[in-house]
Amino acid sequence: MYYIFCEICVKTIIEKIFSRGAGKDVKPGDYVWVNLDLVAMRDFGGPNVIQEYESMFGEHPVFNKKRVAITFDLHIPARNEKVAINQKLLRDFTVRQGARLFDINTGVGQHILLESGLVKPWDIIVGTDSHMNLLSAAGAAGFGMGTTDIAGAMYKGKLWFHVPKTMKIIIKGKLQKFVTAKDVILYILKYLKTDGALNRAIEFSGETIEKMNLSERITMTSMVTEMSGDIGFIQPNQEVIAFIKSRTEEKVETITSDPDAVYEKVHEFSVDSLKPQIACPHSPDNVKEVTEVSGTEVNQVFIGSCTNGRLEDLKSAAEILKGKIIKRGLRLIIVPATMEVAKLALKAGLYEIFLSSGAVVTNPGCALCTTGHPGILAPGEVMVSTSNRNFIGKLGKGAQVYLASPATAAATALTGVITDPREV
Amino acid sequence: MIIKGKVWLFGDDVDTDQIYPGKYLPLTDKGEMATHAMEGADNGEDFIKQVKKGDIIVVGKNFGCGSSREHATVAIKGIGVSVVIAKSFARIFHRNAVNTGLPILELGQVEKIKKGDVFEVNIENGEIKNITQNKGYKAKPVSSLEMEIMKAGGLLAYLATAETAEGYGDKETRGIKGVI
Repeated sequence: MYYIFCEICVKTIIEKIFSRGAGKDVKPGDYVWVNLDLVAMRDFGGPNVIQEYESMFGEHPVFNKKRVAITFDLHIPARNEKVAINQKLLRDFTVRQGARLFDINTGVGQHILLESGLVKPWDIIVGTDSHMNLLSAAGAAGFGMGTTDIAGAMYKGKLWFHVPKTMKIIIKGKLQKFVTAKDVILYILKYLKTDGALNRAIEFSGETIEKMNLSERITMTSMVTEMSGDIGFIQPNQEVIAFIKSRTEEKVETITSDPDAVYEKVHEFSVDSLKPQIACPHSPDNVKEVTEVSGTEVNQVFIGSCTNGRLEDLKSAAEILKGKIIKRGLRLIIVPATMEVAKLALKAGLYEIFLSSGAVVTNPGCALCTTGHPGILAPGEVMVSTSNRNFIGKLGKGAQVYLASPATAAATALTGVITDPREV
Repeated sequence: MIIKGKVWLFGDDVDTDQIYPGKYLPLTDKGEMATHAMEGADNGEDFIKQVKKGDIIVVGKNFGCGSSREHATVAIKGIGVSVVIAKSFARIFHRNAVNTGLPILELGQVEKIKKGDVFEVNIENGEIKNITQNKGYKAKPVSSLEMEIMKAGGLLAYLATAETAEGYGDKETRGIKGVI
């Protein structure tokens, strides 16, 4: 057992993980230094990390070269000279230091770490991506951090943390057809708002959650960032543990909260009659039912991202697009999260469906996350995106971005107006 | 440390794309980053033109939500802002501020503060004098561990100097005891 620091066994998952990481019993409110299992950075932020690291520590070896990973997922392949220089800096660093490199042919960083067996329950992982917390779908504590934190983490293999209180979100009921994990988390965001989980950990539970597969769990946990939560855990089920075990030689031990764990708050949601949800401009918590805004004209649809770029997400879109052609004048951009997802999608015949429908399918990565990417909108244009944020200006000045599920996005691509997927 | 400066106001949920638009992410020069501080926010362009060294930013809840970009704190500090006072900060922004030495304070009531008010701020105990309105406020300063990191000149300087034979156990313990 990892977990031996149990004076009173009434701990939530985050309290257990930080107790193990700190080597002593911790409680909410404590400031603690914890050992890290993995330090990651990406092509964005990574170059700044290396500059800071080397200006402070020079050629000093990183704390453990096997536990430092660099993933390229944002500006791939390099779109201009500045980006190319940044990427070279990272590649050269991995050669000098022996750290792991996942180059432009891999995909979204957190997903690559998961697929590569570098993530398991109980791990504490930091990286330069605010959606590192989606690793909680595998029972690990992932935290997005700035470049100075990552440089310090790479040097010491330790960082300071403030132990958060935990809130519990229970979700009950059976989802209707074309109502997905994305609709559930948008519905929760509508009530908790963008600061509803500020400085808090969440534990999701209930029958709806227990049945969710890894992709759905990733969708749920990635959007905890949009509630300003530190992290949102889902206790791994057998399928998740089997996925992790199939990727690593290391011992895999599941994690649960104690039966008498103390929660600051408990929220309960029933989703039996939940309808497809959509976050309207310009905030992820400006959530309505899709039917309330159906008919709104759309110029572009994006299916992908760290939130909705898994195989199951692509399958959900393909089910709607199969044998059909997207609305003339609309652009549909589809981006698998990783190369593994892309290969499986190819094998499953999804590329045939997408390409025949008129979609552009690009190489795996983050794609339409922020400005600076191919696919940015002109002023006044409207996009339906399966990503996680629709902040003003994030995808082009004057653009309007709606957030929805892959099913809603695909239905919208067919009609050219925001469309409830149950109606196509 | 006492800071005196003029207030700039921004609203609730000001995200990192407003503080530092994503298109400037490839920049690695801190001076260059500073020229884009708050560029995506309402009145951000006026701010960039008119802000003076030592000025103070006062905002609502959840300041700095969104991405992990440290450019946000680096740019605000770089353009000369002496302290950011918010109802609450997003987690990563809060950490980045501590690690890069941008002073921050949490203040429950910010509604009656006006643009251009002149403040005198004590970073360590959180006492604020609004000289223009002749009022006083009590803000929540960062924890003692965070203050130590800031005083050391940021996280990397702290890690480089805090080492003892046992790692940095002393500081560690002090940090935990000094919880606020």
